[in-house]
Amino acid sequence: MFLELQQIKKSFGDENNRVEVLNGVDLSVKKGEFVVFLGPSGSGKSTLLNIIGGIDRADSGKMYADGKCVSEMRERELGQYRRKNLGYVFQMYNLIPNLTVRENIEVGAYLGENTLDTDGILSVLGLKEHADKLPNQLSGGQQQRTSIGRAVVKNPGLLLCDEPTGALDYSTSREILKTIEAVNQKYGCTILMVTHNEAIGRIADRVISLRDGVIHKNIANENKISARELEW
Amino acid sequence: MVKKNPLRKRYLRELKGEFSKYLIIFLLMTFSVGLLSGYLVADESMLKTYDESFEKYNIENGNFTAKKQVSPEQKELIEENGIKIYEQFYLEKPLTNGSRIRLFSPRKEVNLVCLMQGAMPSAPDEAAIDRMYANNNGLKIGDYLTIDEEGGATYRITGLVALSDYSTLFENNNDMMFDALKFGVGIITDTAISAYPARELTFNYAWKYLEFPKDDMEEKAVSDELIKKLAKIIRLEDFVPGYLNQAIHFSGEDLEGDGVMMIALIYIIIVILAFVFAVNMTSTIAKEAPVIGTLLATGYTRGQLLLHYMLLPIMVSMAGAAIGNVLGYTWLKDLCAALYYNSYSLPTYETVWSAYAFFMTTFVPLVIMLAVNTVILGRGLRHTPIQFLRRDFHAKKKKKAVRLSPNIPFITRFKLRVVFQNVPNYLILFAGVLFADLLLLFGMGMPNLMNNYQTKITDSLFANYQYVLSAPVSYAGEDENKLDEIIKGLRFAKAVETENPDAEKFSAWSLRTLGDYARTEDITLYGIEGGSRYVKGDFADGEIIISASMAEKYRIGAGDTFTLKEAYEDKYYTLEISGINDYESAVAVFMNRQTLNEMFDQDPDFFCGYFSDTKITDIDESYIGSIIDIDAMTKVPRQLMHSMGGLMDIVNVFAIVIFLIVIYFLIKIIIEKNEHSISMAKILGYSEKEIRSIYLHSTSAVMIVLIIISVPIIMLVLKQLFYMVMLEMMSGWLPLVIDSKLCYITMLLGFASYVLVTFVEMRKIRKIPMDMALKNVE
Repeated sequence: MFLELQQIKKSFGDENNRVEVLNGVDLSVKKGEFVVFLGPSGSGKSTLLNIIGGIDRADSGKMYADGKCVSEMRERELGQYRRKNLGYVFQMYNLIPNLTVRENIEVGAYLGENTLDTDGILSVLGLKEHADKLPNQLSGGQQQRTSIGRAVVKNPGLLLCDEPTGALDYSTSREILKTIEAVNQKYGCTILMVTHNEAIGRIADRVISLRDGVIHKNIANENKISARELEW
Repeated sequence: MVKKNPLRKRYLRELKGEFSKYLIIFLLMTFSVGLLSGYLVADESMLKTYDESFEKYNIENGNFTAKKQVSPEQKELIEENGIKIYEQFYLEKPLTNGSRIRLFSPRKEVNLVCLMQGAMPSAPDEAAIDRMYANNNGLKIGDYLTIDEEGGATYRITGLVALSDYSTLFENNNDMMFDALKFGVGIITDTAISAYPARELTFNYAWKYLEFPKDDMEEKAVSDELIKKLAKIIRLEDFVPGYLNQAIHFSGEDLEGDGVMMIALIYIIIVILAFVFAVNMTSTIAKEAPVIGTLLATGYTRGQLLLHYMLLPIMVSMAGAAIGNVLGYTWLKDLCAALYYNSYSLPTYETVWSAYAFFMTTFVPLVIMLAVNTVILGRGLRHTPIQFLRRDFHAKKKKKAVRLSPNIPFITRFKLRVVFQNVPNYLILFAGVLFADLLLLFGMGMPNLMNNYQTKITDSLFANYQYVLSAPVSYAGEDENKLDEIIKGLRFAKAVETENPDAEKFSAWSLRTLGDYARTEDITLYGIEGGSRYVKGDFADGEIIISASMAEKYRIGAGDTFTLKEAYEDKYYTLEISGINDYESAVAVFMNRQTLNEMFDQDPDFFCGYFSDTKITDIDESYIGSIIDIDAMTKVPRQLMHSMGGLMDIVNVFAIVIFLIVIYFLIKIIIEKNEHSISMAKILGYSEKEIRSIYLHSTSAVMIVLIIISVPIIMLVLKQLFYMVMLEMMSGWLPLVIDSKLCYITMLLGFASYVLVTFVEMRKIRKIPMDMALKNVE
């Protein structure tokens, strides 16, 4: 198993005002799998993604990635874990404003050991002609494609996407989903995507629903469709 | 009911959140305003005290020294010339501490004494001495003064005083500079004075005009007339009209001239502070852009928001200015006054409320703060609500990226982007660095300059001794200025002839510059013997040679003409310069003796002094006006260092504080501007070292370049400033030489300040949380 979570718990707030966000999550993900997390606001899906991504720590429980126990790693090791294994795509892109498109992708490439060709990524993502532009010269979809490029260029084992289409219109969202699907197929990385949009679950291998901090449903998608066919 | 703006609730939170920033601004503002206020209040109060001292202490209009005590009949004759005279006999003695002291009998009517501490002497073995002289020599009340001669008396110090006619301790009115370390004055009782035989006393008399002349010209005419009349009544040994008395006027002139530099210095600091503040607030505006967009969209006006963002800096500045003024009027005033008290024997001052000081220290700094912030923040807030909401500040003109070759290593390109992003910040940083450099080079360079000057003086002294002869004033001639006293005395050629084989005669004349573009000063013109062994150069008939200092100060050379005039007459002399010699110790003109004597209608044999490498012992002391030796020449640098040493320390501390503050704020801005990116870089797995390398080391490289290029630039500025100061504020000339070692020290201090700040700011990078990038604030 590529990723394994055992009884992950996480709460926020002080003793008098504690909110249990994750209340014992068990999860296994195979390498190359495309998993979508659904659930209402506050269900704990983003928190779970942050714990998997090593940018937040669980209060208890264990997490293994590629055989290594991430939950016991120290800060420095967590940094290395993120550096070597993870790619991140956020709803709000988080591009570095004073770097060009190419350079933003190189921000990711700099970290990897078996990185993909930046020009190749620019072509795949349809960004070649925008390579020398700054983020503020791009549309939202172009910025999100750049952020995907930054995430995949280092050839990560795990791509974490937190509401990647949350800030985009319908057609741009579809373009982005096609891109993520292509990345999954072309580079074989495992993708965990958090979304509010239930329709997106139709292009995933598995759909996991969270409710009140626990996995409510964990369903393998028997009728998976391609992003090109997806409509909502 | 008027609704209060709910945004006001943010002020306290903002103040708490950015406490260190506001504290630094507050402290710097308080200190700057405090120092300026303290300085202006001290300066104005002292100047007022000084001005009032003429009336309060009934300061003389002049004084003369008679060979013998003036008889009642002579007194009557003298006073028929429109003056009233007052005895102020003194004895002048060497002390066992190596200095000389002039002890006066108590003053009862004129030149009254200000008792600053302790009591006036009441017993014959008691003395009250000048406060500054006491401080300089480590003497305090209860200590003893012992006269350094066989059987010399001892006096117990009962009080510290300021003699109103010795606010500057000039031993001799012809001295180039006063020496408050080796010369002092004091008061002993009448009984103590009368215990000395008449031969040991100096019969000095102060005079007051019954009707004071209306200006300097008239005063000169009256005093010129007076000296001739006095000479007919008594045997005069010295004659110093009030307007020429350096001991009375030097301090007042200095007090009047110092303010401009200090005001300029503090205002530059406030302008830099205002810029740093405004740029800092602009980065807050950028950070809060969506909130501003929302507020504008919901009906808040740009003016309200401008006021909102400006209010805290202005309030902090106002608080700084208010507390600075309080400090200025209390503690710092005394600190600044101490600088004057370190140089001058001024009477106790009374603090005056100065509307001018308040205006300059409170109103003007606030206006500077307000103007700079209004312009910069106004620009930052000029966007539309939608631009703020989208953080799209370049909607009309999309900013293009500077093209960087992909062949440049990625991290290098990243660092370059950080540099490009912060060019405006670096410009402010550069201004701050330049200013701090200027202060440091000035503060550290001054002692260096003085040492260098001292060496130059020692190296370029014509002879070990330069004797300026003083004709007994009883032979004062028909007219002319004070040098005439010397000139006329030479009629007693026999009395001033010496057998010393080393002695070489010279003649001299003093003329004044016109002061068209510089402060007026008296320049000595020397008439040198042909084939002189002391002054190098051939002085052909009619040839005028100027000293290197004069050439440098007035930027004149061979072939140029230069006009000088008699100090108190409308008589002009235009000199055509034939060459420049290498004399750097004074602004002076040289020619052969015959040329000088002809120029001033003197006898061909006329001379007024000797150069000599050995002491001349066969001329009566009463014919010697002054002796210029190494000790006398080095009084200038010694006294300047003594007077300004404390100020230099303040300047150096200020410089380093400016370095630290400017660097701190700008690095803070750079980090805050990029904290979102830094947070993202952390998420992506960049190590802290890599992040530091990108965001701090890029600035380090710029900083190194800025510091290196700033020093030669500031050297040029300093040279020009120094030249202007010398030209407009000082007599004489100090060649500006700054040791290259000081340039390196300045650079090192700049780097050290940067390293220190960077060290502090590293913590800030470490503290940026990863979840910052997760918040939807793009």
